[in-house]
Amino acid sequence: MKLCIFVNDFKTVTDTVERLSAEKLGLIFIQNGVFHATIKENGKSSHLLEKPASFYVLAEDLATRGLTDADVDKRVKIVNYGDVVDLIFNEYEKIIWL
Amino acid sequence: MSVIEVGFIIQRPPYKSETSTLGVTHAISYQVVDMLLEEGQGVTPKVCFIGEGVLNCISGQKAMENYGVTSIESHIKNALLVDLDLYVCKEDLERFGISEDRLIDAEDMGADKKLQVVPFSEIQKILNNSKHLLVF
Amino acid sequence: MGTLTIGCFASLVGSKSLDFSLKLAKAALDKGHKVNIWLSSNATIMAKANQKHLKDYSHSEKYVRELLERGVEICECEACALARGIQKAETVEGVEWSAMHWYLAKIYNSDRVVHIGGE
Repeated sequence: MKLCIFVNDFKTVTDTVERLSAEKLGLIFIQNGVFHATIKENGKSSHLLEKPASFYVLAEDLATRGLTDADVDKRVKIVNYGDVVDLIFNEYEKIIWL
Repeated sequence: MSVIEVGFIIQRPPYKSETSTLGVTHAISYQVVDMLLEEGQGVTPKVCFIGEGVLNCISGQKAMENYGVTSIESHIKNALLVDLDLYVCKEDLERFGISEDRLIDAEDMGADKKLQVVPFSEIQKILNNSKHLLVF
Repeated sequence: MGTLTIGCFASLVGSKSLDFSLKLAKAALDKGHKVNIWLSSNATIMAKANQKHLKDYSHSEKYVRELLERGVEICECEACALARGIQKAETVEGVEWSAMHWYLAKIYNSDRVVHIGGE
């Protein structure tokens, strides 16, 4: 399946994300999920970024938290709401919110 | 004209929030969805308890006695009674030390269906076959 | 163009998840898609009329009215609303009231579903 996951939290959602598999997987970091795209805890990037997936982060939720494009890991594409709509309609079939 | 499968993933533990209850009650509402659909159309929920969600499936709940609300146990029994398929992740039961004999059963109400304890790989297949996924 | 159904279960005040749902709905409309919104659990407050916009709290009434004007179907879970003391007459005009099967029926007829669970 082509699965898109809205990752909306930093610490509490990783178990389920880790377990789910899909032929095509996309993680969209929103709300506090944006910290996966930006924070290096003890110098290490979020292990979610090691998954075989495409990564996106919502620009508005970065800016809300005082984060800038320069904070975002190179593996993650910065998107706006319009881009999110295009992703869920054109790139993925099923969407879950964690 | 077709019937679609919808995956209901219940991953929250019981009672601190109403999330898992709403997962089961929304699934049960499949019984009357045809009122709003064309002939031959329908929705078949596939309810999967994973992670801490498996903790909803322990029998002997006393929610009515303690909080005056219908227990998740009652909702799960009703779901079994209306022939829903409910799956419980085997690995998560083992992780939390919950033996299968502690799980809810609706045999006393005359239900033919039982909670089905399956490995996560089976749940993954169910999710693959579902048209849409709802995480509670 | 497709149909998107958004299921909202989070609360309006104390969470930004409903803000996300409203912005996503607007963006989908701007792209020409049809949008349905199901309000359940604490999200039933989203369609309440006469919200006061205090700057420390999210508010939704203005956006709900805009979405309704643009053809979005918004439906309140009747039982969830009544349990919270919200009467139909207190909700924004144009918001439907129904039960959970409304959501499943919309899911049936949707190309995409974003189910935003409770906190």
